[in-house]
Amino acid sequence: MALRNIREIGDRVLEKTCRPVAEVTPKIVDLVNDMVETMYEANGVGLAAPQVGILKRIVVIDVDPVEANPIIMINPEILEVSEETQTGDEGCLSVPGKAGQVTRPMKVKARAQDINMETYEIEGEGLLARAICHELDHLDGILYVTKVEGELHGMEAPEDVEIED
Amino acid sequence: MANAVNIRELALLSLLEMQQEGKQSHRVIRGVLDKYQYLPKQDRAFFTRLCQGTLEYRPQLDYILNQYSSVKTKKMKPVIREILRMAVYQLYYMDQVPDSAVVNEAVKLAMKKGFKSLKGFVNGVLRTAVRDKGNLKFPGPDQPLKYLEVQYAMPEYLADKWLKAYGLEQTAKICQAFLEEKPLTVRLRDHGSQEEKEAILQELEEAGVEVLPAPYLEMARILKGYNTLQYLPAFYEGKLQVQDVSSMLAVECAGIQPGQKVLDLCAAPGGKTILAADRTGESGSVLSRDLTDYKTELIRDNLERCNIHHVKTEARDAAISDPALLDQMDVVIADVPCSGYGVIGRKPDIKYRASLENQQELVDLQRAILKNAASYVKPGGVLLFSTCTIAEEENENNVRFIREELGLKSESLDPYLPEELHCASTQEGYLQLLPGTHSCDGFFVSRFRKC
Repeated sequence: MALRNIREIGDRVLEKTCRPVAEVTPKIVDLVNDMVETMYEANGVGLAAPQVGILKRIVVIDVDPVEANPIIMINPEILEVSEETQTGDEGCLSVPGKAGQVTRPMKVKARAQDINMETYEIEGEGLLARAICHELDHLDGILYVTKVEGELHGMEAPEDVEIED
Repeated sequence: MANAVNIRELALLSLLEMQQEGKQSHRVIRGVLDKYQYLPKQDRAFFTRLCQGTLEYRPQLDYILNQYSSVKTKKMKPVIREILRMAVYQLYYMDQVPDSAVVNEAVKLAMKKGFKSLKGFVNGVLRTAVRDKGNLKFPGPDQPLKYLEVQYAMPEYLADKWLKAYGLEQTAKICQAFLEEKPLTVRLRDHGSQEEKEAILQELEEAGVEVLPAPYLEMARILKGYNTLQYLPAFYEGKLQVQDVSSMLAVECAGIQPGQKVLDLCAAPGGKTILAADRTGESGSVLSRDLTDYKTELIRDNLERCNIHHVKTEARDAAISDPALLDQMDVVIADVPCSGYGVIGRKPDIKYRASLENQQELVDLQRAILKNAASYVKPGGVLLFSTCTIAEEENENNVRFIREELGLKSESLDPYLPEELHCASTQEGYLQLLPGTHSCDGFFVSRFRKC
């Protein structure tokens, strides 16, 4: 396992459409493991293959704050979205230090293949729904900054902590 | 402690880096210390201790955390897990930091790393750990594997291996010795002159360094209270060489005489080569080899610093036979690549990487090297075989291989060793130094003569 370099906005690789994965080779397994490791190290909730410079339809997502439970999505597609929406701040490891308001569906249902190329379906709500939409956009060369309502803003600096007993 | 937050963040990043494939903890720590040379002495010491300790005690720290966290450490995301481990290490082993400061700094660090939502979690787990510190019980000797894993922070694979070889009491002693502070041992290059020795010692004293006697050898000393070794005149003038006593003993067992031709096969960073060169004198010569240019560069740096000109370095694979050297050498030193279990006290990452799979591969490599090493010894010359491990497969079994397959004869080590180390095996031609029993790294030395 190794950390990969995260490509940042302005890098043309982030604007391209990714190719489907036909089979899981040992190289793909390495890539997926590295993506998970890189996501954790950067403290992100999701990472798409183009963000590490690979134009393949692979994303990894983990929205749990403590526990490591990565969701691996190969050739993912969205099946259904809810009418109900959520509007809130979104950030991206490829746009460091920034955030912006984006409206996404409250729930999504998606289909993907896992690391054994077995097809599965997943339903996400709230942050997970947002992460699935955000990461899948990457596979088609779309960054969230094109969907921001209003202005991008800097991330708030960590406030001073007061710890109560 | 204005810098404390940054030091902890530096430690966090270093600990995460150490867990990546191919990274060695001592190199990561050295890299940071070299980069941040301007840091005050106490910050450097705090950083080193926190990194080493958190790495070294990992199985115990995880046991403690798992008493208080609903998410077990195995399942935790790496950044938050490392922040918690660092905090528990400080709670248990760094008395100079108040418990409340440990918790506050851990929460701040988690937030700085973007884990704002985990403020409550980090705070909760650590507060409970503080409150329960006096009550927590570790598994006892009635569960030997669990006991060794938690009390002595030794992963199951090695704990099990040594339990079978040495029994519980001896294994506990070995593991305990690994956890104790490892002093920096150096060799004084006084060339046997009392005057030169006094001069070196005085130079060290003037630099404010505390110099303590080391076990077994008069030329060895323990250094304490220095800031950056590289800045000590005695060091950069080449008057001392960093080397564990065990490694000095190995070279001494070769019994090198002035004028002899010596080959050091796996030589980096060069401690043995330099001692061998000091023994041959300029009327003799040393050929010093290691696998890569990076490694021979380390040797050359040390040779240059020590102002030694009768050593030649070459990057060569010791496992590939070199016909030019057949029957050429008075002495061949083969300190072969090994599992390194003897130096776990200095390089704790070794214990986490130990596995059964690597064992046979290593032995095959060792035997390929030993076969070549023996062929380079001239008839009547000496082969010195050593490792820094405590595994029978790599030590005693290879002695048998050298005797039976390569046809060399074991020779007693007693003439070269201080009396306190004499035992049945030294007379038979080999010595296993065990941490906890002997006052040095775990090391294996054996001596053979070619007929």
